[in-house]
Amino acid sequence: MSTETLTDGEAETASRGLVDRVRASPFLSQLLSNRLALAGLAIILAMIVIAVYARLTLDLEVISRSQLGTNPNRAAPSLEYPFGTDGQARALLPRVAYGAWYAMLFGTVTVGASTVLGVGLGIVAAYYGDITDNVIMRTMDVLLAFPSLLLALALVSIFPDELGLWRAVAALTLVYTPRFARVVRGAALTVLENEYIDATVALGATDPRVLVRHVLPNCLAPITVQSTLNFGLAIIDLAALSFLGFGASAGTPSWGLMLSNGVSQGLLTGVWWWSFFPGLFLALTVLGFNLLGDGMRDALDPRMREAVD
Amino acid sequence: MFPKRFVLKRLLLLVPVLIGVATLVFSILHLSPGDPALTIAGERASQEFVERIRADLGLNDPIWVQYIDFLGNVAQFDFGESYVINRNTSVREVLADTLPVTLELALYGQLFGILFGIPLGVLSAVKQDTITDHATRVGALTGISVPIFWSGPLLILLFAQVLGILPTSGRISSTYNVAAIRVTGMVTIDTLIAGDWEMFRSAVRHMLLPSLVIGVYSMALISRMMRSSMLEVVRQDYMRTARAKGQGAKITVLKHGFRNALIPVVTIIGIQFGGLLGGAVLTETVFAIGGIGTLLVEAIEVGDYPIVQGTVLTFAFLFTLVNLVVDVTYSYLDPRIQQ
Repeated sequence: MSTETLTDGEAETASRGLVDRVRASPFLSQLLSNRLALAGLAIILAMIVIAVYARLTLDLEVISRSQLGTNPNRAAPSLEYPFGTDGQARALLPRVAYGAWYAMLFGTVTVGASTVLGVGLGIVAAYYGDITDNVIMRTMDVLLAFPSLLLALALVSIFPDELGLWRAVAALTLVYTPRFARVVRGAALTVLENEYIDATVALGATDPRVLVRHVLPNCLAPITVQSTLNFGLAIIDLAALSFLGFGASAGTPSWGLMLSNGVSQGLLTGVWWWSFFPGLFLALTVLGFNLLGDGMRDALDPRMREAVD
Repeated sequence: MFPKRFVLKRLLLLVPVLIGVATLVFSILHLSPGDPALTIAGERASQEFVERIRADLGLNDPIWVQYIDFLGNVAQFDFGESYVINRNTSVREVLADTLPVTLELALYGQLFGILFGIPLGVLSAVKQDTITDHATRVGALTGISVPIFWSGPLLILLFAQVLGILPTSGRISSTYNVAAIRVTGMVTIDTLIAGDWEMFRSAVRHMLLPSLVIGVYSMALISRMMRSSMLEVVRQDYMRTARAKGQGAKITVLKHGFRNALIPVVTIIGIQFGGLLGGAVLTETVFAIGGIGTLLVEAIEVGDYPIVQGTVLTFAFLFTLVNLVVDVTYSYLDPRIQQ
């Protein structure tokens, strides 16, 4: 059906098809009836809009540069400066908005890379079993034996300072990968027990084809939930590393760094807005992902569907 | 019956993991930029001096010799001497000073999480889908979403600056000499042992805000787990039987439901202990508490590698140990696991 020549009837069928599909999918209908999950989704979409808008309209160089002498220094929130100004007289509102871009960009890369790595390792471990499985999963066990933020801190020290936030991304990717590998391995083992897998193999499908075309699509639900929940964690951990001084380089409008500067240089002298607004946006974004992820997890869990008598 | 065989099996399984952990830490330090010998000697040291230190540290040995030595030392909890932070002091001594500080913080956080998380989870489950339930769930999700390095400073601002009723930072008022009464290294306990109420009061007042910010996270996870576990248990047949034989709803929930629902909660308490240790790093930084977390951050900044490996390994051992204890407790509570 070509979209250009869609008659009213066809359009109606197409849209009804979508509604039916949503209704038929217990996961989606459950998720969409969960108001908290929808609120989370709304927060995330709002942050994405802010992030993209900031990226397209603001000049990074201008908002990173010191404005001492031009703007009032450490000005309290006012009509002119809704979030106030920081210790270098920079208006905080555009910097906090640009922080959304950093959070989304680096969060996406971290979660995306660890998802790809973890899914690959998990599926391969489940499919080949034996030694492959043991080598992969025992390595994952070693990574999981460390408290995550501490492992990230230790790993960050390998990479040179010039990499800025990217070294935090690299460290956190390694820290998150085992979580995905575990979840995916578990899901893949269940999928592999199905007869259609034997049938596909019997028909002569190659290993990559079985894994990508038949196993992977059936593991997508738990992968999506895991990614969503880890997105919130990634954003908070990236900010934490910046807060501790192992992330964004000086001047960068990242929430973690603004918070760090605001707390150490402004908070106890009464300049609360310097750290308050970056922290508020950070907490809101993470809450959005947690609300959505939590709703997804409930929607996936059939035990949560039936009501208690 | 105590599951001896199960514990033994789990202990044996730990060995390869711990060797892996040590190997990873060894690799991280060898991949790190910077020359340890130069770090110790200082920028202005003579070439010969640097060379002598390098030889003393065994840095001229082949890598596999260094690796075997490292594993041997780690097995004896010997992490060498601090390069920069506490020169000529063994890392073990430095850790003995700082570890109790972090453990104290983590324990109070955990205590806070359990004391508030379990009742909230039960309440949420019993009142499923009511306003109470929704408020508790949103509260819990907010709790895990708010970063410690934001809530901590804001609480300091509110309670210490604006209201002036709690201290801003540290573990105890600086007028007291805690070192003199040191027994466990945990100030709230040491002051109690010394029987000094004034000091104890000061220590507790200093501990309130840090335990709160670190404990909120545990509380959120525990209450969430308690809720879903409770909801699952109330659907079990034995619950219906209990009610059918005429037992009151409250007694059924508490006597049969609560005890069985606690089992999975034990697991989450162990799993999030790692998060608690990570949270300790941030909490210690925010409240200027000199524990193992602040030590690690400082050591990474100045390139004090023995301290880095000592702290990271200690954290990993602790975390693994807690998980082992949790597994054993779990198998004790639910013997089906042992098979």
